[in-house]
Amino acid sequence: MKTSAGSLESSDCLITVSDSSELKIVIESVVLEQFGDQIREVIIQTLSDHNINKIHVQCLDKGALDYTIKSRLETALKRRGENLE
Amino acid sequence: MSRSYLFIPGNTPSMIQNLDVFESDAIIIDFEDSVSSFDKDSARILIKNFLKKYSYNEVEIYIRINSADSMYFLEDVKVTKDLDIFGYVLPKASVEAIKELNKLTDKAIIPIIESPMALLKVEDIAKEKNVVALLLGAEDYTKELGIKRTLEAVEILYARSIIAITANAYNLDSIDTPYTNKEDEEGLLIDANNALNLGLTSKSSIHPNQVDIINQVFAPSESEILEAKRIVKKSEETDKGAFSLDGKMIDLPVIEKAKKVLEKAKKYNL
Repeated sequence: MKTSAGSLESSDCLITVSDSSELKIVIESVVLEQFGDQIREVIIQTLSDHNINKIHVQCLDKGALDYTIKSRLETALKRRGENLE
Repeated sequence: MSRSYLFIPGNTPSMIQNLDVFESDAIIIDFEDSVSSFDKDSARILIKNFLKKYSYNEVEIYIRINSADSMYFLEDVKVTKDLDIFGYVLPKASVEAIKELNKLTDKAIIPIIESPMALLKVEDIAKEKNVVALLLGAEDYTKELGIKRTLEAVEILYARSIIAITANAYNLDSIDTPYTNKEDEEGLLIDANNALNLGLTSKSSIHPNQVDIINQVFAPSESEILEAKRIVKKSEETDKGAFSLDGKMIDLPVIEKAKKVLEKAKKYNL
């Protein structure tokens, strides 16, 4: 199952999550060199907060701040039926 | 006592994270018309995480939730009711809808008066608990009446007037409808002054470029501030309930009005 949230507008990101037998994170960003590690950290932390460790996350980043990355990931997860309460 | 209320789309990070740079006294984060049905969930989560991370002292933040008769209403309130916001802007307002919202939260409410029925019930709406202002939504109001909007705005003269009068009588703010032509600064100036002259205390807008003009129109002028200072000073120097200044009689309502002008001037560093 594949679900997405966000957009490719400036300051946003488009996050797509799908089934995986392991944790796999793919990031494309205009600021990958400067902020790639930080984006990855936000994704890992958000997944950890919700006890999710087997998933494929693709993040197409257009300069999103941490709260946006977290939000788009949480929305994509909710859309695939994850209980995030 | 804000002069300007700027609507910004609730699912657009580039606008949301800059909400304090638009110079608007109040920001209305919109979950209704500017957010598609598909992205209502996305907007809620975005705003929740944003307002948990950032706080703003200089700007009043409201959220325009979806109407009480929509399928989004309960979730909109549930996700946002513990956030640090001033309150909610409630579209398609009615007494019943405000009561519904009051069951869920104690935050301030700004009902949008945007139907002939809401206008007929405006005094009942004004009396409801937690209502702090009335906002005219002229686009939907005129659509229901089947009439066209014009620059002269004669078609909303009565609506503006009754909202201004009702809000004033119940010590609420009255917020004018947005001017929808965002390229027309001259038209905005005329429109804002029309609202001001009818007694409305502020105006909403849909584009950051409109905020500056609105702030200027709804701020007290230099001469108003000067006159208010003289009235308050003289009232403090005399024991009389009423006195004369420049040939005009000054009594308690005039003194109170002058104090309000000074309060507004102080708030906006004028």
